[in-house]
Amino acid sequence: MKNIIVCMKQVIDPESPISLFHIDSVTNRAIPPKSTPPVMSPFDENALEAALKIKDTEEAKVTVISMGRKLARAVVRLNLAAGADELILLEDDSFDDFNTYFTANVIAQAIKEIGIYDLILCGIQAADTNAGQVGTGIANFLGIPCITIARKIELSGDKAIVERALPDGFEVAEVQAPVVITTSYEIGKLRRPGAEGFMTAGKKPMTVWNSQQLGITTGTIGQVSIRQVYQPTHENRCEMIDGVSPEEKAIKLAIKLKEAKAI
Amino acid sequence: MSPVAENYFGISGYAIFWILFVVAIVLFLQRAYLLVRFLKLGQPENRFDHLGYRITNMLIVTISQWCNLRTVKKNDLAGIGHSFMFWGFCLFLLSYFIFIGFGGGLGFDRLITNTTFEKVYSSILDIAALLILISLLWAAIRRYILKSPRLRGHTGAEAGIILSLVGSLMLLHILIEGFYLAGTDSASVWPPVGAALAKTLNGIPQNTALTVYKGLWWVHYLVILGFLVFIPRSKHLHILASSINVGLKSLTPKGVLTAIDINNKDNLGISKIQDFSWKDLLDGYACTVCGRCNVTCPAQLSGKPLSPRDLILNLKGYLFEIGPSLIKNNATALLSETATASANHGKTLIGNVVSEEAIWACTTCRACQEVCPSSNEQMNKIIGMRRHLQMVAMTETAEDPLKNLWTRGNPWRGTLYSRTDWAEGLDIKIVGEDSNIDTLFWVGCTGALEDRSLKVVQALAKLMKQAGMNFGILGEEETCCGDPSRRLGAEHQFQMLAGNNIQILQSYNIKKIVTACPHCFNTLKNEYPQLGGHFEVIHHSQLLAELFKDHKLNIPQRRDCKVTYHESCYLGRYNNIFDPPRQVLSSIPGLNLVEMEKNRKDGFCCGGGGGRILLEEKIGQRISEMRLGQALETKAEIVATACPFCLQMFEDAAKAKEVEESLKIKDIAELIAEATDVSGDPKC
Repeated sequence: MKNIIVCMKQVIDPESPISLFHIDSVTNRAIPPKSTPPVMSPFDENALEAALKIKDTEEAKVTVISMGRKLARAVVRLNLAAGADELILLEDDSFDDFNTYFTANVIAQAIKEIGIYDLILCGIQAADTNAGQVGTGIANFLGIPCITIARKIELSGDKAIVERALPDGFEVAEVQAPVVITTSYEIGKLRRPGAEGFMTAGKKPMTVWNSQQLGITTGTIGQVSIRQVYQPTHENRCEMIDGVSPEEKAIKLAIKLKEAKAI
Repeated sequence: MSPVAENYFGISGYAIFWILFVVAIVLFLQRAYLLVRFLKLGQPENRFDHLGYRITNMLIVTISQWCNLRTVKKNDLAGIGHSFMFWGFCLFLLSYFIFIGFGGGLGFDRLITNTTFEKVYSSILDIAALLILISLLWAAIRRYILKSPRLRGHTGAEAGIILSLVGSLMLLHILIEGFYLAGTDSASVWPPVGAALAKTLNGIPQNTALTVYKGLWWVHYLVILGFLVFIPRSKHLHILASSINVGLKSLTPKGVLTAIDINNKDNLGISKIQDFSWKDLLDGYACTVCGRCNVTCPAQLSGKPLSPRDLILNLKGYLFEIGPSLIKNNATALLSETATASANHGKTLIGNVVSEEAIWACTTCRACQEVCPSSNEQMNKIIGMRRHLQMVAMTETAEDPLKNLWTRGNPWRGTLYSRTDWAEGLDIKIVGEDSNIDTLFWVGCTGALEDRSLKVVQALAKLMKQAGMNFGILGEEETCCGDPSRRLGAEHQFQMLAGNNIQILQSYNIKKIVTACPHCFNTLKNEYPQLGGHFEVIHHSQLLAELFKDHKLNIPQRRDCKVTYHESCYLGRYNNIFDPPRQVLSSIPGLNLVEMEKNRKDGFCCGGGGGRILLEEKIGQRISEMRLGQALETKAEIVATACPFCLQMFEDAAKAKEVEESLKIKDIAELIAEATDVSGDPKC
């Protein structure tokens, strides 16, 4: 049986309406909107789907690890409903979304704690920070190989054959397990829960570990300080050009565009 | 003298009579037994509650022929013909018992012959036979020459046999009378048609006439018995099954789908014939192949691969095809799909018998069920199959909106709004902050999150404030009511959403709810009680009508415009709310309300029901554009709706048809809000 670990970040819904998005200028943090619940990072959903695809064809246990200050239970449970077998939540007030080095360290620690693993799957990046460092970071801390941007994963014995997406095609890599693989969207959208998955989700094991239990001393590892987070302002102005004839309008438009150095 | 009382080649007529009778009855019962065993392949379902009502309803509807007559229209008079044939059939059936059974077979001929009763009854039969022959001729012309659109796509061979059988019975009846009178009392004037025939047979010797009479009598008897044997083997099974089906019709509110226990792995929707309830299977027997459903179905009329008639007929055909081997293999509902398929040469229910496209084409508008004279039920079957596709087969259909419902509690992925953006500046109570309210305004996902519908809920909120109502909203605590999940087959999602909502509503001790969405309305009102949520729910058309009645709203000025009202299926057909929206519109002085040809119970769907608003419409014509075309025929300047789905469907259709300048689409609440604004335009 293969043991697959999927790293799943919970993020502020990247599709939440712009009106709900606020930044605390003092702490430089986005304030989670009350109204829309957080979601699983869509990139990490691809990783879970990759794991479930493997589970469709061979015997495998899929464990989802999620890390954060406070994780919404209804959201993490969707992982189980979709088909994951176990949930491990790393929850601590001191956890920091932006410190990717620290995050990779904590997750690697948790994975060591779990002990048995063949595949560790991550999304290529998180939907909030877009840093894309945790997957490779975990590999680094565990001392195992990492293949990024996988569009297809096949297991053959204790080897993984991975198609890695490139801008103009793909390359095929073969690697000895255990291995960390980050997945591209091409691997597929996460399936939605069927009735059986939905009904059994509540019965599957869910464990919570805090930093103390993991033996992590916070505040010392790879501190990152954020200097500024801000919302860019977009201004749109519309100017109607008057003219007697289409020709006149066109000439005026051309002059305007030239003035604006657009042509 | 009865021909039964004579001997034929040394054999008693009585013996021949009863041997033939027993053979026919055995053949009849043999088939009937098989049909019952087929039904037993289905799931149990209790349709025997309120037996008194069921029986009375069955008798009234059948005998009065209201089942047919209620759908008679100027351009579809076939129901009248059917009624004459049915009443005639009853007269003749009774006569067969009296004259052939009692008089002939039992030998009580002398008690009947030459009585006034016989004279009167046979005269009535005589005239009835003529009328039935005319009806039959009409039926044949309609079926084979005019080719009624209702019958399109269905071969008339079986109907041809039935028409000829009935026709031959009538002809034989008249001929028998004619020859009998010619052989006995040719001077008689009663019964009129038979007597007239007897006069033309005057030249024939009496003995010959009597011999022909006896021969024809036996032929007649054979045809009747043949009819008896043929009925359960043909579509005329409906003679037996339709009335029963009418009696067994669902007595739950129309808008309620059957709840299933989603913990029961073996009962997650319908994927094989045994998953249907026995009543679903009986629907096939009851189908008269009249095709009323087909000519009212928006999916069928817009060229999609769904035919509500063929759905029922194909299921019946499949049952007949696969039933014997299922019975042989002692198949219960537990028999797996593959075993079912192998019992029928690999033919699967979903895919081979009913296509997935057909299952998804349904808007659940319920028009087919409303017109069905046999009270057949398509909705539960289609939703049952959708349930299998969504919960077990995990189809890709509706994947995006349903996933959005899991993660965000609304089906409108990518909305630019939060649940309370629309209320900004309107000073509306949020129940979580101030629960001192009389009425909860259930805004609904579409009302709160879809650009165009925002204006509707804003208009309604303003009107409720104007009327001095003490109301509030759940705001961010509101999630989808579950209608799209349920209609798309994701019953587990429905039960989760509805369960959460009921909990929240109960935690704020909500008693009364008003909503501007007929889908939320139907689900909250009719389906939440299944899960323990009992609330008084009203639709905004009812609320506004009430506010006008109580003079809490007034329209200060005339507004001269021509408006046509489009019926929302879930408001009209499902919940019988036909008058309130019309009353609301009529409260605007000067407003000229015109009806589309298809209105009220015949209302034509906008194409958005049953979760269809969340799916692409790839096949055939756009239903919304067809309906907007019907609205354009009225020359109205405004199409009034009372449903956010209809509104959205028509806004899109108006753009596609490039009529958005000349034909405005407005919710009734918007029209009232505009009309109460004195500074508004008195024109449209």
